[in-house]
Amino acid sequence: MSRLFHTLRQAWQEFLAFRVALLYLLLLTLLVLVLPWLPLPFHPNELDLEHVFQRPFDWEAYQQGRPFHWLGTDTLGRDVLANTLFGARTAWAISFPVMVLTTLLGVGLGTSAGLYGDKKARMSRGRALMLLLAALVAFYYGIYLPLQLTSLRFDTTAYTYALTLALLLPGILVFGITPLLKRWDFFCEEIALPVDQAVLRLIEMLTSIPRLILILVLASFAPPSLLLLSLLLIFTFWTGIARLARAETLRIRELPYFEAATGIGATQAQLIYRHALPNMLAPILVSSVFGLASLMLLESTLSFLNIGVSTDLASWGRMISGIRSNTSAWWLVAFPGALLSLTVLGLQTLSHYFLKSSRGNTRL
Amino acid sequence: MASYLLKRILLAIPVLWGIATLIFLLSRLMPGIYGAELLGQSDSGYFGKADANSREKAYRQFLHRTGQDLPLFYFSLSPATEPDTLHLIFPESERLFLKRLSWQYGDWQLVSSFHNSLKYVEQATPVAQRNRLAPYLQTIYQNPTPKGIERAVTALSSLAPNQVAQKSQLQHHTAQLLEGQNPYAYLMPALRWHGTANQYHRWLVGLAQGEFGTSFRLKRPVSAVLFEAVGTTWWLLLISMVVATAIALELSLRMVRRGGHSWRKAVLPSLFLLDSIPLFVLAMLLLVLLASPAFLQLFPVYGMGYFQEAQLTKAQALGQWLQFMALPLLCLVLANLPYLTSQFYHALTDTANQDYIRTARAKGLSESTVIRKHMLRNALLPVITLLSDFLPALVAGAVIIETVFAIPGMGRLLIDSVLARDYPVIMGIVVLVAAFKLLSHLLADLLYATADPRIRHATT
Repeated sequence: MSRLFHTLRQAWQEFLAFRVALLYLLLLTLLVLVLPWLPLPFHPNELDLEHVFQRPFDWEAYQQGRPFHWLGTDTLGRDVLANTLFGARTAWAISFPVMVLTTLLGVGLGTSAGLYGDKKARMSRGRALMLLLAALVAFYYGIYLPLQLTSLRFDTTAYTYALTLALLLPGILVFGITPLLKRWDFFCEEIALPVDQAVLRLIEMLTSIPRLILILVLASFAPPSLLLLSLLLIFTFWTGIARLARAETLRIRELPYFEAATGIGATQAQLIYRHALPNMLAPILVSSVFGLASLMLLESTLSFLNIGVSTDLASWGRMISGIRSNTSAWWLVAFPGALLSLTVLGLQTLSHYFLKSSRGNTRL
Repeated sequence: MASYLLKRILLAIPVLWGIATLIFLLSRLMPGIYGAELLGQSDSGYFGKADANSREKAYRQFLHRTGQDLPLFYFSLSPATEPDTLHLIFPESERLFLKRLSWQYGDWQLVSSFHNSLKYVEQATPVAQRNRLAPYLQTIYQNPTPKGIERAVTALSSLAPNQVAQKSQLQHHTAQLLEGQNPYAYLMPALRWHGTANQYHRWLVGLAQGEFGTSFRLKRPVSAVLFEAVGTTWWLLLISMVVATAIALELSLRMVRRGGHSWRKAVLPSLFLLDSIPLFVLAMLLLVLLASPAFLQLFPVYGMGYFQEAQLTKAQALGQWLQFMALPLLCLVLANLPYLTSQFYHALTDTANQDYIRTARAKGLSESTVIRKHMLRNALLPVITLLSDFLPALVAGAVIIETVFAIPGMGRLLIDSVLARDYPVIMGIVVLVAAFKLLSHLLADLLYATADPRIRHATT
């Protein structure tokens, strides 16, 4: 951790661009956080059909004391300024939590794949079988049934029953039935779980078609909702981080200090948290900042294509797609597009210089 | 080499099967099907309510024709109280209502007779009086809890004084339903086995025989639709790829040269900047600047220019095609240039520090000979992998470009099918793109072996 801050401070002192990018992103974050309390004259979804396609800074339309569309309006008279700012809010609100969860999932799967390999995770047959069954049962009562209950509009008691079973039955399977199975020799025999192979095959499968297409196809199957979109993004984005974490774990596993830690009998948890994770923090941070940028791009692309995102969500992509009905309305592309590009540029600059200064550190 | 390739293909097939199966199953798990909206539209339209029966018949015929009346997979897991034939009920609101009833009360026989008697009461009531029943029926349909049903049925019986027989039947069935209810019934799952007569099996067998099915939306074989769309996209991708690669190579060669400092200073930051502009913003900007009456109108805006009057010669047709394709091509080239150039540049600088480059320079070879003969050859290896990964990724770019410029290609077909839930076409595109990626990886392996003798000898 301290090395991370050291690298950050070094990058801050050395590169002007790093400082500018960081300041810009912090300001944008601050703006996004306080946005609901700012005295904006218009709401992003407020229609003003008397002022359709108004130009930005159109002083002829300006009247003292009346709300004014500073950056113009779109085809339904929605205010460009309000939509641009709230678009930033949407972009942050989607991409930040998704990136955090993606990083956690990716690091978890990647390090366990790298650390356990194909042979080190061993388990008795009975336990493996019961864990598998428990996972299926938990999925049925914990995810499938509640989803169906929602679509059928059941009341809360029905959910409580289903969720209670989702906790209770797997518990019985794992802690109650597994010891009983131990009476047979067949179930006692230990087998190796091919963790590495499983993770690698899963990654290969998910990356076998381009991510945008995968998300487009999957998003089309369900009614547009923010939660579902976020889940889809997590489901498709973890592969990059997992690959990186796996490669880093394989590298770290061969380092002398790690062998020493294994030699003095550190537990698996200690190995991961105290020895493996701190050493790969920098590259993972860099790649998750990159991921943040590409998530923002993807979110605005999806709302531009009007797929997977509901139409009343204020977003940069929605504003930009408004230009298709009137190609001379340049302000619909210019302002949201500029903010989007600047934010992506800021994130990329940040990770670029961070990488540069962390490389310099390890060389020293 | 041949056995190695065969092994690669055999290893790749499970991946292809996995992703296609995943998407197929996910697509069918979600509620709503293509055509339900179309059939439902006539609800308030020309034909009116009297035609409910014929609409139901049409719906069933549609399901049967497209094979959607079959179960989804070899087996299914759902609450035991749910009947097998539930998915045949039309319209969807009625299906959901019955599903809810069967989940909540447990006995399908009772649920079905309750529903029928409710319908009898509604039908027996004269049209003029139906408005008075509507709020109570609405309560039942919206929230069929035991209390809600009891109250609404009592209220219904006090209304509509004429239909004594139907009312007493309704009361009887309601009492039966409430007595025989089992509130935990939905918690008990049942595993049902459907055999090979299911949607997934049919689709998979069809796929193995090269049969993609028929598009719901266009009513034509998917393979024909795909074939038309791929033609356009293929040239778009190939030309932009070749142009972008050529420019990127030239730029990186100039940057890596000894006197290339000024090139580096100019090119790298501007590429970094270009990289941060999203593709759709870039496309829109170019559209506004170069093809709109407000600024410069250099290029035609939309489409492919199919509606021409005279017969054109081949050269003229090509000229027109290029005119329409110029902006989309420019977009794709600009969007992919930064990544390609930086990768080429890194590959080249990595080889620049090698001993044999120093030797070549020491021999007194000219700078361009050193770069083109000694550096480029060795830098090409990583480039091959890069390009083979890159071509499939370009398909994603084509989706955006074709939407913006209204080009009738694969990407546009995908968007249209996604918006219309035209599953056979979506599945066709997914399989095609995945197979394309697989093939390009194989091609990369082959090229690798040709470029590097060490690999060729190691694998055989």
